[in-house]
Formats: sequence, C-alpha cells, structure tokens
Amino acid sequence: MKNILKIGIVFTAVLAMVSCADKDSPNYQYMPNMYFPVGYETYQQVDFLPSGSEALQPAENTISRGWLPYEFANDLAGKDMARLQASPLDSLNAEANLAKGKELYDIYCAICHGANGAGQGTLVKREKILGVPSYADVARNITVGSTYHTIYYGLNSMGSYAGQLNFEERWQVAEYVMKLKQDLTK
Amino acid sequence: MASHYEAPIRKPLVIGDKDYHDVSVDIAAPIEGRANRQWWIVFSIALAALLWGIGAIIYTISTGIGTWGLNKTVNWAWDITNFVWWVGIGHAGTLISAVLLLFRQKWRMAINRSAEAMTIFSVIQAGLFPIIHMGRPWLAYWVVPIPNQFGSLWVNFNSPLLWDVFAISTYLSVSLVFWWTGLLPDFAMIRDRAVKPFQKKIYSLVSFGWTGRAKDWQRFEEVSLVLAGLATPLVLSVHTIVSFDFATSVIPGWHTTIFPPYFVAGAIFSGFAMVQTLLIIMRKVCNLEAYITVQHIELMNIIIMVTGSIVGCAYITELFIAWYSGVEYEQYAFLNRATGPYWWAYLLMMSCNVVSPQVMWFKKIRTSIVISFVISIVVNIGMWFERFVIIVTSLHRDYLPSSWTMFSPTFVDIGIFIGTIGFFFVLFLLYARTFPVIAQAEVKSILKSSGSKYKTLRDAGKPLYQMPSGKAQMKETKAESASVQIPRAEASDLLSKLGTFDPSKDKADDLKKVKGIGPKMEKTLNQIGIYTFAQVSRMTEAEYNMLDELTGAFPGRAQRDDWAGQAKKLNKKS
Repeated sequence: MKNILKIGIVFTAVLAMVSCADKDSPNYQYMPNMYFPVGYETYQQVDFLPSGSEALQPAENTISRGWLPYEFANDLAGKDMARLQASPLDSLNAEANLAKGKELYDIYCAICHGANGAGQGTLVKREKILGVPSYADVARNITVGSTYHTIYYGLNSMGSYAGQLNFEERWQVAEYVMKLKQDLTK
Repeated sequence: MASHYEAPIRKPLVIGDKDYHDVSVDIAAPIEGRANRQWWIVFSIALAALLWGIGAIIYTISTGIGTWGLNKTVNWAWDITNFVWWVGIGHAGTLISAVLLLFRQKWRMAINRSAEAMTIFSVIQAGLFPIIHMGRPWLAYWVVPIPNQFGSLWVNFNSPLLWDVFAISTYLSVSLVFWWTGLLPDFAMIRDRAVKPFQKKIYSLVSFGWTGRAKDWQRFEEVSLVLAGLATPLVLSVHTIVSFDFATSVIPGWHTTIFPPYFVAGAIFSGFAMVQTLLIIMRKVCNLEAYITVQHIELMNIIIMVTGSIVGCAYITELFIAWYSGVEYEQYAFLNRATGPYWWAYLLMMSCNVVSPQVMWFKKIRTSIVISFVISIVVNIGMWFERFVIIVTSLHRDYLPSSWTMFSPTFVDIGIFIGTIGFFFVLFLLYARTFPVIAQAEVKSILKSSGSKYKTLRDAGKPLYQMPSGKAQMKETKAESASVQIPRAEASDLLSKLGTFDPSKDKADDLKKVKGIGPKMEKTLNQIGIYTFAQVSRMTEAEYNMLDELTGAFPGRAQRDDWAGQAKKLNKKS
C-alpha cells in the first residue's frame, strides 16, 4: 500500500512535468543565455527596417565583386540577340560541366520538362500544368544562348531561375539542355 | 581502585566534584533552558550579517561578477581567499575528532563536538564561494559528471577545481556523518531527559532510536575508529587539493611543491585558533569550565604553536628556495610581497602567523585565557592575510609588466565575507542552543579515569562508589533539611506573589511530580510555604530569581526545567 502510494506520487510528478511540454509551441528552456542572436541573422524579422526583414535589396545599378550584369534585355529582341551567344564555359571541361548540368537540371527543370526534355515532367503527367514544349520542337529552335536567356528571365509561364542558379550553373544547365535536344532529335 | 594505573603526572580533564549525572545536567542545561538576552542580541547581529550577505550574493549573481573588485589580471581575490580560509578553519574539527582519536588523546573529548560543528559550519561557508564566484552559477551542475544530452559531454578530470568539488563535498559529507554518529548517544540523553513533548519528539527523531545496548556501543566504537581512519587522510588530502589550485599553476609565487603540506599545516593552525576562540567563549557562556579546562586551552595552544612553527618554516623555505632558484620571476614575486604595494598584508601575515604563536613557548602565556583568546583571533586574521597575500600578490605582478595592476575589494566582496561570518555564527549559535555541545557519552567514558573527583578518591585509596545505606541517607536528609535557613521576610514576599496556602481549605500536592524538584527541594518549598501546583505555576522569572536567592541551591534550575509550565499541566490533571 505504501509502495503504491510512493509510485503514485512519482508517477504523478513525472506526469505533471511531462504535461507542461506542448508540441505546438517551442519547449521550455533553462537559462537561454546565448540561444538568441545578438547580431542580425539573414532572414530575421526586425522592426527598424521598412521591409520588416533583415534581408534588404541592394541599391540599383551597383555591381558587387565577382558578379557582372547580364547584357541582354528581358524581351524578344534581347532573346534574339542572346540566341547567338556561345557558352563561355571551357569546352575541355565539357564532360564535368554536363554532369553538373544534369544534376542541376534534374533538380530544377525535370519536374516540368521531363528528365529527357520531351516536356513530359511529373507535373505534366499529373496534369498539374500543361503546355510544356519539347526541346526538340523545331519551331522553338533553342540554342545554348537562348536557353541561358530563358533560364535567366523566364518565358511566358516559366519563371526566372536566376535566383536559384548562379552564372556558371546556368550555363551548365543550358549546355545540358542542348545535349538533351541533341538526344531527342537523333 | 588498584586495578587502574594512570600516571600521576596527568592532570584531571574534568575538574570539580562531577559524577555522571552532573555531566548530563551540565551539558543538557543550555538545551533545556531558555536563551538569554545576550544570546538573542548576538544572534540578531549574526542574522543581520547573514541577511546582508545574502543580499550581496543575490546582487552579485543577478548583476554579475563585475560588482566585485576583480579585474582581468587579478581574477581571484576575496572569493578564493575566503574559500581557502573557511576550508582551513574547517580542518581543525576533523583533526580534533579523528587524528586525536587515533592518537588516543583523551582531552579531545570535551572539544571534539564543537570542533566538528565548527568544521561543518565553516565548510558550508567555504562551499558557497566556489558557486558564487562563478560567472554562471546556474550551470554549476555541469561540474558533476552526469550523463547528459550533449552526447554525454563529460568534465575534464585534470583540473584541481574539479578535484575541489569532490574533495569539499566528500569532506562535508564524511564530517557530517562522523559528527552525527557521535551525536546519537547524546541526542538520546536529551530525548530521555526531555519534558516538553515537542522536544521529546524532535530528539527522538534525531537520535535514531539509540538505546545504548552493548552491541550498539561496540559497533559505535568501531564505526568511530574506521571513520577516524578515513577522515584523517581526508583532512590531509582536502586541503592539499585546495592548495593544488595554486601549486599546479605556472604563476611565480604559486608554482611550488611545498604548498600541500604547508596549506594543511596552515589549516590546522587557523582551525585550532578558531576552535580556541569559540571554546573560550563557550566554556564561559555555557558554564562548561569544568570540562573545557585551562589544560585543554593549553594543549590547543601547543598545537597552535607547533603548526604555527611549521608554517613559519614553510615561509622561510619559500624565501630560501626563491633565492636559491635563480629564477628572476620567483625572486621578484617574493621581493614584491615584502616590499611591493601589498607589503602591509605581507607584514601582517608574517607578524600574526610567525611571531604571535611563538609567545606560546611561555607557560604563563599559553595558560592565560585572555591572551590565548587574543592570539587565536590574531592567528585567524594572519591566516586570512596569508591566503590573500598568496593569491593577490602573485597575480597582480607576474610575467608581463604590461599586465601589472592592483586589486581593491568593493563593498560586495566585503559584504559577502561578512555574510559568511554571520551565517557561520547563526549556525553555531543555533547549534549551541539545540545540540549537546560536549560529547557527554565520551566525557563519561573518561570521567572515572580522568575526572578530578575520582582521581582524588583513587589516590586516597577509597572506593569510587559506595552503596548508600538507608539509615545514613535518612540522617543526611535530616541534617540537610535543618541546615536550610529560610529568611521569613523574603519568603512572605515571595508568597504574596504566588498566593498563600491555607491548610484548612487547600490540599497539598505532591510537588515531587515536577521534574527537577526532589524530596529535598520539596521540603524547602514547603518551608517557604509553597505546597500546591497552582502556586508553582504562577512563578515567572522574577519569582525564580527570588527562589534561587532563598534556597541558594541549583541557581537557574527552576527556570531551566520550566517548573511553572510543568506545574500548570500537573494542576490541570489533578
């Protein structure tokens, strides 16, 4: 009887402590000395900036070290001019670039365009979106430069991927797309 | 008793005409009586100091260590000084109870209880400092190697500060167990004498059902001996470990191999001085002069003198080695101590620790209670400065002159130290009123061999105890009752306050039912005119004093036993 009482007391105490934890809110902390940043974290909310976020837009027309602006405009004329541009990547590294390009393509592009570029990605098959053309479409007549332009600015329903991929990665993907086109038209 | 041989050179350790009962009564007196006004005054002062210290500690912890006078160079000062000082004071208790037990020193018996209490209370004070000098004391539990969620992150066992944790906590727990075990028979004595039910309840709880059977006593002795055997290396190792805090460092003035024994000697030195300070007061306040005799004080003075000389030797050794080493940093460290900005602290330490105990070579001085008292305080001041000098003078000037600085404490540093002194005395004063301050069981074990009453009987060749024959007792009572003369005027004065007894209306009570009133006292009371419980129950402090003056026997006894309270209860019952 005494033992049951003791076990009961311990059980209740444990239950009482466990019951304070709530899955829907962060748990209790013991002395959170250096848990919260004193400096500003990248996407932290701040009150004193107009955007409410620590992440601000850079001033327009500024050029940061290691980056150059894209010289073609976001319109059809720009795209036509871009069509003639060749890939600046080292052709001796073509294989490595294609491998990297495949990796990136499978992450960012294959979901709509399909792993082989025939416009039969998972989303198209499931009919979430329609009207994704094949790279082999003659009317499109894509080149490595126009692919780069499309990745950079997007086209019609497709959005820009300039935020996801950097300069080199965009060219790697463009080169890989040209390879897919080649395979499709074989 | 021819069977017992004791060298005639030995002086009695219990003086006066004390038998077993007297020992119990004398030792139980402070517990059974009420605290007097002086006790309350001293207690209030100590309590105020404690509260002030608590305030200072809370301020430190909530605001930060920056409230102290520490700086980047001198990052240990009053905190660790006080820590080492309190730990050192705590060493005498275990030394007295353990080492002197191993050496079969009978004189330890009158002082070991209070010395151990002092140990425990001062180790508690010491234990505060390692916590409160931490920057983040709420994470202090990280020093304990407990399995945890940081991939079972462990402590590093290479730091003497971690050894300190183990040393101090082991020391405190072993001392506590040793002390409490010794207290069991004494608590049982208080329990068996207790009149008030609450007191009885408490002392039954703390005496763990001690009945004093032969088997209990046999095991009790064995446990005491084993614990004494364990405590002795503990005493030596604890302060050694504390000294490692400094000795294992690379700081000139700290890095020394002499520290372990030298700190231990210093600890015994300061600890005995503190015991001396406390016991000289206690023997007076608690009327224990018969147990804590001048011989005890003299023997403690001799230990103070011996350990003081060891410390003196250590100082000289340090100075010699510094000169002999040829290390400029080491030489400068000692030059700085003697002639630097803290020369006064060094001078105080040298004069208090080296010079003052040397006067104990003179018997006149070491048997003088007043001088012993003064020197015991001087020694503790000196030992505080020893730690201060070692810590601060070595830190404030070491390898890089660009890091040289000074240290001065803030009121928070000082406040915390005062607080610990207050806390110590709060504990000690409470102890003195609730614990048997002398191990009566042990004193009774030496009473027949070393008590002056029995020594005289033995020397005279008389038996130590004689069965009282009935006739003789009768005669004695008669003779004694005749000898008490009660002045009429005062007696009627007392009666006017307590109420007179009218034999025609009232019935006389059996006053012997009141604990503390024997047949003899009853007769005396009857002579005065006190016959009933009702009369006794009206007594207050003034009446007690009048009664004491009238009877002249056992002053303060009536008040201690609370005759009035007892009579009130008995009156209700009848």
